[in-house]
Amino acid sequence: MLVKFFATYRQIAQCKSCDVPAPRDVLALMGELSKRWPAFQNLLLNEDGTDKGDDVIIMVNGRHIEHLDGMATPLTEDDYVAITPVVAGG
Amino acid sequence: MTRGNGWVGTILRVNLTDGTIIKEPLNMQDAKDYVGARGLGTKYYCNEVDPKVDPLAPENKLIFMTGPLTGTAACSSGRYEVVSKSPLTGIIGAANSGGHFGPELKYAGYDGIIFEGKAAEPVYLHIDDDLVELLPADELWGKGVHEVTDALVEKYGKVRVSCIGTPGERGMLYAGVMNDKNRAAGRGGMGAVMGSKNLKAVVVRGTGSVLVARPKEFMEEAIKARDMLRAHPVTGAGLAGFGTEILVNIVNEVGGLPLRNARDGAFWDKADDTSGERLVETHLIKNQGCFGCTIACGRVTKVEGKGDFDCFGEGPEYEAGWSYGAACGVNDISAIVKANCICNEQGMDPITLGSTVACAMELYEMGAIPESDIGFPLRFGDAAAMVKLTQMCADGEGFGNIIGLGSYRLAEKYGHPELSMSTKKQEMPAYDGRAIQGIGLEYATSNRGGCHVRGYMISPEVLGIPMKLDPQVAEGKGAVLKLFQDLTALCDSTGICLFTTFGIGLPEIAGQYREAVGSDETDEEILLKGERIWNLEKRFNIEAGVEKDTLPPRLLREALPSGPAKGKVSQLQTMLAEYYAERNWTAEGIPTQEKLDELSITY
Amino acid sequence: MAKQLVVDPKKCISCRTCELVCSFRHFEEFNPRLANVSVFHYEEAAITVPIMCLQCDEAACVGICPTGALKRQADGVVTHDANRCIVCKMCVNACPLGNISYSPAKRLIHKCDLCDGEAWCAQQCPTGAISLVDPDEVPDKKQLAADKLKAAVEEVCA
Repeated sequence: MLVKFFATYRQIAQCKSCDVPAPRDVLALMGELSKRWPAFQNLLLNEDGTDKGDDVIIMVNGRHIEHLDGMATPLTEDDYVAITPVVAGG
Repeated sequence: MTRGNGWVGTILRVNLTDGTIIKEPLNMQDAKDYVGARGLGTKYYCNEVDPKVDPLAPENKLIFMTGPLTGTAACSSGRYEVVSKSPLTGIIGAANSGGHFGPELKYAGYDGIIFEGKAAEPVYLHIDDDLVELLPADELWGKGVHEVTDALVEKYGKVRVSCIGTPGERGMLYAGVMNDKNRAAGRGGMGAVMGSKNLKAVVVRGTGSVLVARPKEFMEEAIKARDMLRAHPVTGAGLAGFGTEILVNIVNEVGGLPLRNARDGAFWDKADDTSGERLVETHLIKNQGCFGCTIACGRVTKVEGKGDFDCFGEGPEYEAGWSYGAACGVNDISAIVKANCICNEQGMDPITLGSTVACAMELYEMGAIPESDIGFPLRFGDAAAMVKLTQMCADGEGFGNIIGLGSYRLAEKYGHPELSMSTKKQEMPAYDGRAIQGIGLEYATSNRGGCHVRGYMISPEVLGIPMKLDPQVAEGKGAVLKLFQDLTALCDSTGICLFTTFGIGLPEIAGQYREAVGSDETDEEILLKGERIWNLEKRFNIEAGVEKDTLPPRLLREALPSGPAKGKVSQLQTMLAEYYAERNWTAEGIPTQEKLDELSITY
Repeated sequence: MAKQLVVDPKKCISCRTCELVCSFRHFEEFNPRLANVSVFHYEEAAITVPIMCLQCDEAACVGICPTGALKRQADGVVTHDANRCIVCKMCVNACPLGNISYSPAKRLIHKCDLCDGEAWCAQQCPTGAISLVDPDEVPDKKQLAADKLKAAVEEVCA
């Protein structure tokens, strides 16, 4: 499945996007990404790794996970995920 | 003497027809009721001008107004407002700008300036503390914003300049007032009103002070707000690092980036080419802040080695990145920076200009505009044609003059007014009201026509600040939008930047305001002033003959063809009903007498 | 040891917060002309430089002051005592860097006193472009150069 990175997360991942095997849900995916790029550790997940970090926006197929099943949102190979630190503009 | 409450206590009244300049005391009752800047400027305007006035006639007035926090250590306190009736929309036009001009005006001893009448020949206003004089502007007329600013700085030294470019001189309908070169009171054609008065520039040097009512408490509030902004990921890091254009990928991700005049939906596979990340890689030199700002979202940018696109200046912001990017289907970031740079150099609103070019591209592709009218082909994605047309618009050349009418008048001229992506004749910014329902409601109800900065629903609907709302749901948006509109009216009117509201809220805005002016009002009483300002603007618009609150038919009837919001249209009627009820207005969107009485609006 | 203000123009965003808080700290007024720090913006270079008194070891202002109003304190800071000052402005002329100011509005001399060690300009600078450092404790440029050399050596050895 496709994972896209925006803003400073691109600097951490050193790429705009990557392909990873789809884990069962978003929580598992954030765990995988944190393993692959240790700098993500305390950004994507909270301290004990049970929930998302405070300042991350996670979207699955363009929908904020808040409007899906949160960190338990299931994933398949056909889904795509975008992650970004909270930013704003106008 | 009213020094010592955030205000310096004096308004300059400049009659351009007979050249008289009067210094009059600030109306403190109105200042208390309408806060400052946008609110107070609008109140002065409504007190003095017939709502039916022709915006470009000498009978119209043009008001520059600061807020009680402008020039203090309050967070991001460099703002002032330019208020008049908009020639683009025919309703109230209030445009807010940062930089350093607003504070300098206060240091010179003036809270605001009211321009009346029309000068017989081009003039500029020179303010050096107590000295205020109108001088001939023959040598400045016909010149661009940067050239005029350089000339006046060369002549006077440590001054701040607010001026118009040549489009403003010609009464181009969305010419902006520019200060400190690249800061814009950009929307609604305030520069055209200035030009219609033969007023080229205001140059100011101020050596005085601004005092607040309770200094120690004020500084505590200001430092608290500043610390919160520095600690917040958006205002402390994101905006400084990537500027506002960082939103391109995120808004596209939710399927809300209007593509090719919104004809092709709102989801673009080339969005990343025009993103804030891309701008950082290609043209960013450094970030820069306005006066007193901890956020520093400004982009200093340069294009080199790209031929006609070479330029040096500031921006683009997200909005211009979209209007010259996705809206025109152009994914060449250098062309986008260049087109934006032309807008700054000549003082034009890039949201309206880019959107108008996009509208012309659609009309051209469907055969409604003959190529002979334009002089060259104008297809979506043609970066060179886009930049050329922007320059022609700046120079008042050929078809550029038609672009200068804005998309509504352009589309009407060619028989398709429905293809103008505007509300109340002003172009909607860079978010699609089908994918993001609440921002559509904001476009429909905004008191200055298509606008995102009257109630920035993207914050809750996309970014989750301060709470997360589902962008695809209509229910509940009316109540949140009302709150955002009132809070925004308050924030704009204090003299601090709207962007602070990403990191601070009502308690911090009200806290700084209270200690500056020496008020003991509660947060709720202070927020009520925002609602009062909103209702005053609405009253004016009704008197001026505002059109009803609606959206272009495309957003109401053409379902999005792709992306995460595929199949959606705006559910405007549902949201409008809830919104009017929240405002305690009639079902037709008219403020009730009960509401006006509650707010003590006598207009 | 006396702490010292250090300026890093690369970090300056030209917001002039330093000017605002300085004038407030010393006069309870907001007025960049009363600040002891001034921010200069060079548009074409896109560089901004905040500049203020750095408390010269051989202070010309102290040397020329006829009344002893300008005096070096034990912590190294040169302070100005308005009660002893006759506003002759000799110090303004003597300072080779222009870091002593005369306010025509207030008819007085003002200069940086490091806010009794609090240095508000540094405290409130949003980006760290101005900082107050102990010259002996904070990594100086020499240290940074050494760090780079160490990293290079490590790479070669590895």
